[in-house]
Amino acid sequence: MKETIKLGLILFIITAVSAGVLAISNNLTKDKIAEIAMAGSIEALKEVFGEENDFKALDEGRLDEIKKVNESTEEIFEVYSGESLSGYAIKISSKGFGKTNLITLTGFSLDGNIIGMRLVEHSETEGIGSKATLPDFTDRFQGKNASEEITVDTISGATITSKGVMSGVNEARKVFNEQLSN
Amino acid sequence: MKLSKIFKNGIINDNPIFVQLIGMCSTLAVTTNVTNSLAMGLAVIAVLVGSNFVISLLRHVIPDKIRIPAFVVVIATFVTIIEMFMKAYAQPIYQALGIFLPLIVVNCIILARAEAFAFKNGIIPSIADGLAVGFGYTIALVILGSIREIFGAGTFLGKTLFGANFQPAGIFVAPAGAFIVLGLLIGVFNFVRNKKASSEV
Repeated sequence: MKETIKLGLILFIITAVSAGVLAISNNLTKDKIAEIAMAGSIEALKEVFGEENDFKALDEGRLDEIKKVNESTEEIFEVYSGESLSGYAIKISSKGFGKTNLITLTGFSLDGNIIGMRLVEHSETEGIGSKATLPDFTDRFQGKNASEEITVDTISGATITSKGVMSGVNEARKVFNEQLSN
Repeated sequence: MKLSKIFKNGIINDNPIFVQLIGMCSTLAVTTNVTNSLAMGLAVIAVLVGSNFVISLLRHVIPDKIRIPAFVVVIATFVTIIEMFMKAYAQPIYQALGIFLPLIVVNCIILARAEAFAFKNGIIPSIADGLAVGFGYTIALVILGSIREIFGAGTFLGKTLFGANFQPAGIFVAPAGAFIVLGLLIGVFNFVRNKKASSEV
């Protein structure tokens, strides 16, 4: 019994020190990691909305509420033209063909029109599903409105990827519609 | 043990891939190109050196009965630290390795060196062993990755080598090709190693 306690205590000390070291490492790196994630998003946002706009991540409380209802929501950004809110950008995770989910970023103006869409993360087949990142495909979503189900022509030979992107955009559309009512 | 002997062991006589045949899963999966092979090798060297150092440092403090959980905690901690720093400061490598970075925690090589060497030897030899075995692993991966990339994709470190007429043999970048090339490399490596050993006698 005494030996068991001693062993447990030593293991506890080892894991406690390990947790401490990890906490320090996390503190040292988390800001840089958040910066990189944000930078990646800002690049895509600027491509869709234009350089002159400002982007702000949606208030965390509101985002958490939305995530409870729409679980595939990754991030939401408010788009500002000067001081006034001009639209929203919604990042959704959806199933594609590859091993990891597709991450789509769809930009809406306040009246529900899709300003643009980008496929920001994917593990689709190079040369086939990866074509979904090209303007030839992403431009097809421009001008569609959030009021109705969005469908576009699929990429030939990459139906699953195309449908995955479409479902991501439609999920963003659902979030946008729910957002508006909030 | 002499440091030079430790190095020779890690790279040749106890080469984790070509002789001990451990840590094969990540080897086969990650070697589709040279860049990923190098990235993985570096990550493994970092974890090996770190974990060997700490385990050697604590070898008189860790009771024998709970050494395995203790090793795993130490190894997992190092892998997580490296993951965090790579995510913050080396994004391209982090993306390239994907899931295989956290999988280093269960890579047999790290645990094997902790048990077979670091737990029984001093700090400097343990660090040397970590470096040596890590190097042996990296060399094996880079050779395998080079063959697979050159013949399977016609590139090296991402740069196209041959003209437009070159038809790469896709099998090399597929899992089947990985097994075949690895098997051949193991055969060649041990053939040369045995020949040298018998000629030295």
